[in-house]
Amino acid sequence: MRLEGTNTLPAPVETVWRTINDPDALRGCTPGLTDLSPTGPGTYAAMLTIGIAAVKGTYKGTLTITDKREPTHYKIILEGSGGSGFMRGEGTIDLEADGDATRVKWTGDMQIGGLIAGVGQRMLGGVGKMLIGQFFKCLEQRLGPGA
Amino acid sequence: MRAPREIALRINGASYVGRAEPRKTLADFIREDCGLTGTHLGCEHGVCGACTILMNGDAVRSCLMFAVQAEGAELMTVEGLADGDRLHPIQQAFWEHHALQCGFCTPGFLMTTLEFLRDTPRPTDREIREGLSGNLCRCTGYQNIVRAVAAAADALASTPHGAVRPAPPDAAADPAAAGTGRPARKRRAGASQSRVRRKARRRGG
Amino acid sequence: MKPAAFDYEAPETVEEAVALLGAHGDRAKVLAGGQSLVPLMNMRLARPEVVVDINRIRSLDYLTADAGVLAFGALCRQRAAERSAAVARLCPLLGDALALVGHAQIRNRGTVVGSLAHADPAAELCAVLAALGGTVTAVGPGGARSIPAEDLFVSYLTTSLDPRELVTEARFPALPRGAGWAWKEISRRHGDFALAGVGVVLAVRGGTVAHARIALIGVGPTAVRASRAERSLVGAAPSDGLWEDAADAVRSEVEPDADIHASAEYRRHVAGVLTRRALVEAATRARDAA
Repeated sequence: MRLEGTNTLPAPVETVWRTINDPDALRGCTPGLTDLSPTGPGTYAAMLTIGIAAVKGTYKGTLTITDKREPTHYKIILEGSGGSGFMRGEGTIDLEADGDATRVKWTGDMQIGGLIAGVGQRMLGGVGKMLIGQFFKCLEQRLGPGA
Repeated sequence: MRAPREIALRINGASYVGRAEPRKTLADFIREDCGLTGTHLGCEHGVCGACTILMNGDAVRSCLMFAVQAEGAELMTVEGLADGDRLHPIQQAFWEHHALQCGFCTPGFLMTTLEFLRDTPRPTDREIREGLSGNLCRCTGYQNIVRAVAAAADALASTPHGAVRPAPPDAAADPAAAGTGRPARKRRAGASQSRVRRKARRRGG
Repeated sequence: MKPAAFDYEAPETVEEAVALLGAHGDRAKVLAGGQSLVPLMNMRLARPEVVVDINRIRSLDYLTADAGVLAFGALCRQRAAERSAAVARLCPLLGDALALVGHAQIRNRGTVVGSLAHADPAAELCAVLAALGGTVTAVGPGGARSIPAEDLFVSYLTTSLDPRELVTEARFPALPRGAGWAWKEISRRHGDFALAGVGVVLAVRGGTVAHARIALIGVGPTAVRASRAERSLVGAAPSDGLWEDAADAVRSEVEPDADIHASAEYRRHVAGVLTRRALVEAATRARDAA
């Protein structure tokens, strides 16, 4: 499943770059990410409890940030498995200055399998987009005027 | 509140009492505690219809109900269709029109058809196909099932009493009929399913 | 596939049920028809700690028609609504949509209110509530409140209900006198979740459209009203061209998702086709009340 989008964040490129490389920010803004512990350079152990309404699943896995081209580009790989299925996502983030703000172009390639994929196909793409939207909204709040 | 509790209900006119956790589905209760294995488990998430029974006259997916919810209900399963050795007209029509191969989906189709023809005694072909849409068959390709239902509609329309009646409450127990008035088998902790069933057969149940 | 263990409660009054939900909050789920919840529980995609079975609350089993509003208690089964003479007389859009909800076995247990509270993006009843401007009544620790359709449906399977609230009733206003209606949906097999669906209400007065409602399913995270298309109809004279334009407006308004069942383009296109057909049918049913 391929997803992509563009979001604008109210801060200069360097600030945005620092934030999206900060494990605290990632932990705080990724919906359902309850644990993010460094296990090596650019790699983390991750625990994700993700769900919509009553449908919830916990995934245990790893998050890797690679392909860094400071301060405008990296690739993020998130892999996890749990009772309701498994998932593997590869995403790229590209930052572009837009005046005082930053335009974030992101792409994501998700593979989701197991039970949740079998019965949840109708909503996976939409829910995925929604969760990514929540991520950016949270970053926006962190970087915004009140930050 | 999650501990097993007593559940009393009636199936095909006979009383059953069993003990089950709230999370035990009605389908599992019917099969394991009442010994009526004609009701089948195909998908256990409400898609295939193999578990269809009648509850208080309505066709329902027994895998989507918990046994506790059927306390005091009048159920009818496929075992309640035949009258001794005489097949119900719907069963007879399925037989004559080769509307079953492996037979796994068949009990669900029969119970769905029972309600469907009661509500729509003279269905068109389209109405039959739509009426059966909640039941899946992997063997037959459906054509013979549709023919059988149409034939059953004719047969029922021309029987003396027309409408279908559920099995009468048991008077003199027929030893061959499953579960006539005796308490539902209680599952002993640790006993495997197959052991329970084999024991039941040896008792002549 | 067996559900995880849960504490089972079967209250007999609304007060008891609300007290239980108040005590357990989001650890509890209400069980009415169970046709959406139990599959999720059987697959362990949902694992509520407490199940509050409301099927013993007899006071919630009603369907009344009063002062132009159809009121469905939380235990009114979809089949009862489908067969109701009051529904056929006052709100045939609802009757037509109900006939396409799942299969007969599902409608025997499933409830009108339950479908609304579950808020599946492809649920017919959600679009009908939106099209008619209906409401639900939710009772919680703070008392009862009325929630209109436009405030109820938030996202995929998500409503604005608090986990401690019990929806006790759904209210559907009757169709305006003389209004035409139509429900159209498309799915691969009868009874499948619709790839796209449209409910339309159309009233004509003095040769022009006086009232238009277009609500869709399958084209976004919730049932949606095509407000721009609706506004383009009001005040205009019915014609094939008008329905075509409204269909195009719908196509430009909706933002459907893609999945393995259908692409976004297909859903967008079909939403327009169904809208046009529904408007044509509704127009033939509408009686000009000049």
